[in-house]
Amino acid sequence: MTAIIEVKNLTYRYDEQDKVPALNNINLTIEAGQWVAIIGHNGSGKSTLAKALDGLIEPEAGSIKVAGIELTSQTVWEVRNHIGMVFQNPDNQFVGADVEGDVAFGMENRGIARPEMVKRVKAALKAVNMSAYAKHEPVRLSGGQKQRVAIAGVLALRPDIIIFDESTSMLDPEGRQDIIKLMKRLNEKEGFTVISITHDIDEASLAQRVIVLDDGEIIADQKPAALFTKGQELIDIGLDVPYPERLKHELAKQGITVPKKYLSEEEMVEWLWQLLSKN
Amino acid sequence: MNKFLLGRYINGDSLVHQMDARAKLALSIYFIAIIFLANNWVTYGLLLVLVLACVALSKIRLGFFLRGVSAMIWLIIFTVLLQVFFTTGGHVYWHWGILNLTQYGLVRGAYVFCRFVLIIFMSTLLTLTTSPLEISDGLESLMNPLKYLKVPVYEIALMLSIALRFVPTLLDETQKIMNAQRSRGVNFGEGKLMDQIKAVIPLLIPLFVSAINRAEDLATAMEARGYRGGEGRTKYRQQSWHLKDTNALIVFGLVTIALLYLRTW
Amino acid sequence: MAITFKELSYTYQANTPFEYQALTDINLTIPDNSYTAIIGHTGSGKSTLLQHLNGLLRPTSGSLEVNGQLITPQTKPKQLGDLRKEVGFVFQFPEAQLFEETVLKDIAFGPKNFGKSEAEALEIAKQKAKLVKLPEELWEKSPFELSGGQMRRVAIAGILAMAPKTLILDEPTAGLDPKGRLEMMEMFYKLHQAEGLDIILVTHNMNDVANYADNVVVLEGGQLLKTGKPAEIFASPEWLLAHHLGLPKTTAFAQELKQRGIKLPSLPLKEADLAKQLATMIGGIGNE
Repeated sequence: MTAIIEVKNLTYRYDEQDKVPALNNINLTIEAGQWVAIIGHNGSGKSTLAKALDGLIEPEAGSIKVAGIELTSQTVWEVRNHIGMVFQNPDNQFVGADVEGDVAFGMENRGIARPEMVKRVKAALKAVNMSAYAKHEPVRLSGGQKQRVAIAGVLALRPDIIIFDESTSMLDPEGRQDIIKLMKRLNEKEGFTVISITHDIDEASLAQRVIVLDDGEIIADQKPAALFTKGQELIDIGLDVPYPERLKHELAKQGITVPKKYLSEEEMVEWLWQLLSKN
Repeated sequence: MNKFLLGRYINGDSLVHQMDARAKLALSIYFIAIIFLANNWVTYGLLLVLVLACVALSKIRLGFFLRGVSAMIWLIIFTVLLQVFFTTGGHVYWHWGILNLTQYGLVRGAYVFCRFVLIIFMSTLLTLTTSPLEISDGLESLMNPLKYLKVPVYEIALMLSIALRFVPTLLDETQKIMNAQRSRGVNFGEGKLMDQIKAVIPLLIPLFVSAINRAEDLATAMEARGYRGGEGRTKYRQQSWHLKDTNALIVFGLVTIALLYLRTW
Repeated sequence: MAITFKELSYTYQANTPFEYQALTDINLTIPDNSYTAIIGHTGSGKSTLLQHLNGLLRPTSGSLEVNGQLITPQTKPKQLGDLRKEVGFVFQFPEAQLFEETVLKDIAFGPKNFGKSEAEALEIAKQKAKLVKLPEELWEKSPFELSGGQMRRVAIAGILAMAPKTLILDEPTAGLDPKGRLEMMEMFYKLHQAEGLDIILVTHNMNDVANYADNVVVLEGGQLLKTGKPAEIFASPEWLLAHHLGLPKTTAFAQELKQRGIKLPSLPLKEADLAKQLATMIGGIGNE
């Protein structure tokens, strides 16, 4: 597996006078094709890290390498060819007057010839299931639809890495599930490296790796199942408690001995079945 | 739910709707200029025929255009009356102090009225048949030569199209904020003038703050998507010049020649 | 206070080419002292319904009665002034309404509009700031210097400052992190119990409905689909699915157990209930 993102000793402060930096000596390597979830309570530095990776903010110290390119103010535009970002607010990243126009925006910026743009817009809209909405204005779209358009805009540029910065947090449950399904397909079937910053437990559970940020530092870096055994503590680090853990907690209150290790919902059903069959 | 007709654009597929925005923009401005070539009934008549022909081609009901005139009716009446009472020449019907009602004055008044109607009809036609975005694209294209004078044409055009895209969004937000403040006891549009002005503050400040936050988010997103200014950008939206546009130019050219000739009648 | 809807209908932009009927013949009673959840797909008419409750909209036909006041299409906006303070409305992303120079001044804005003096309003503001757990060091700051979660609490305090009898909450936890969400829902529940505040909650989160509501109203396409206690509404998962509605996590899990062959005595809505039921069933073999 090749490393596609390498972060070394990254430190960033919003204000020179801040005592605690927003990012404090972050060291992190992400392999190509991985899905990494980054979690943390609000203010832990998650979004700051995402912005730093895309060169949208300049660090105080440390280095970032993306696809082998050292991120500097000269190389930042080249780096951005490898990274596509989908932000939190569906409205505030929608630049075009209609869906097609917005998907084409990134390509217009790169001076891609029109025939090529037309081809890619079609393909991108098909990939996110929004072809029927090509001429719609943003005000007629739901939050989930706008996020799909944002993703299409990213796909049209063919990056290697997609960063989802809390892209599902402003959506209703249906919209959220929709986008999470799309994220899964993009990672599993299309091979994109996915970095998702999230509070959503369903999103985090699909990742191969969960990184926990607190006060600008990485305090945990493990597989979802390993992290979820923390149970009730998860809420303090910015994640929901997964359902099986909540149930285990209540069962324990009733005097039932529950396994320490994390069980998924299916595993939980099985375990209960075994328990009750012994009756 | 806010099907707001921005700039009163009405969707349609008439000949005029299909014309290139650049042609429509240029001809509208040109038309307003050649109005001043008219100086007698024949020339005003010709211009009126031209305008009404355009209106007919747009397949939009005359009522919309007349509404445009009635919106400005007080200004029109005022200007006409100025002409009527302060221009002298020809037979005098009545006078009182500095006011004179003369034959010449009446004719001038009528001409002024004609000019207003012509200008209003033509500009209404432009906004009714051309969507705000098309107008913005057309303007950008026409302004293109200005880039040689270091005018940031691309940036202005992008600003315009982003502003247009956000108008419905901002209108929705205005409605939401108004409802929120009404729920806290604010009465918009009621009470003394001072009160009404004060009531605007809990609406404007949140809107402002929200707009600035939006702008910041949008700028970040644009940068992440590779925006670095106007140079080197290609365009997805296309404008296509067709035979009908060239024909329109020719028609207006012929009308100009006719005007120049008929002026001397 | 009880709220009753009688044959209420509402049409936006009536008599224009853009007319849209958002609500049709709503007959509904929201009992006094209740915590009611209103659920329904986007476009079902929830926000239109809510806006009738504090007088922002008046019915196109039919009527509603709020706290003894009858509202019909003929009611003049001026007569609805007091309703706006008796029914407090917390909009979605309420922090968008903040505008004053300091946090306290913003909280005091509502009471001042309803006749309280500057001094009285500030006192109330301080009380409510404490109630929503806003630290005192923030009180004299500009609301725009606060974090998103803090700004939201300022906005909520501003509504509570008007001493409403009923509180409308339109997706109050939207955009908050899990901890923030839990704290917010617990705070409202305490207010409901301690101060007898009626709560009307609009949400997509069925867990919140199961955990807090004692009454549920389901809207679809502008019409009333069903009302009842949460246990009644969530009794049929097939029905919920058919109407694009979600299930509380526990109820969904209980379905999975049922499919595996584990029969539960009754359909649980909360983890604690499910755990009790399972414990009783497991109790037959003793603890390991």
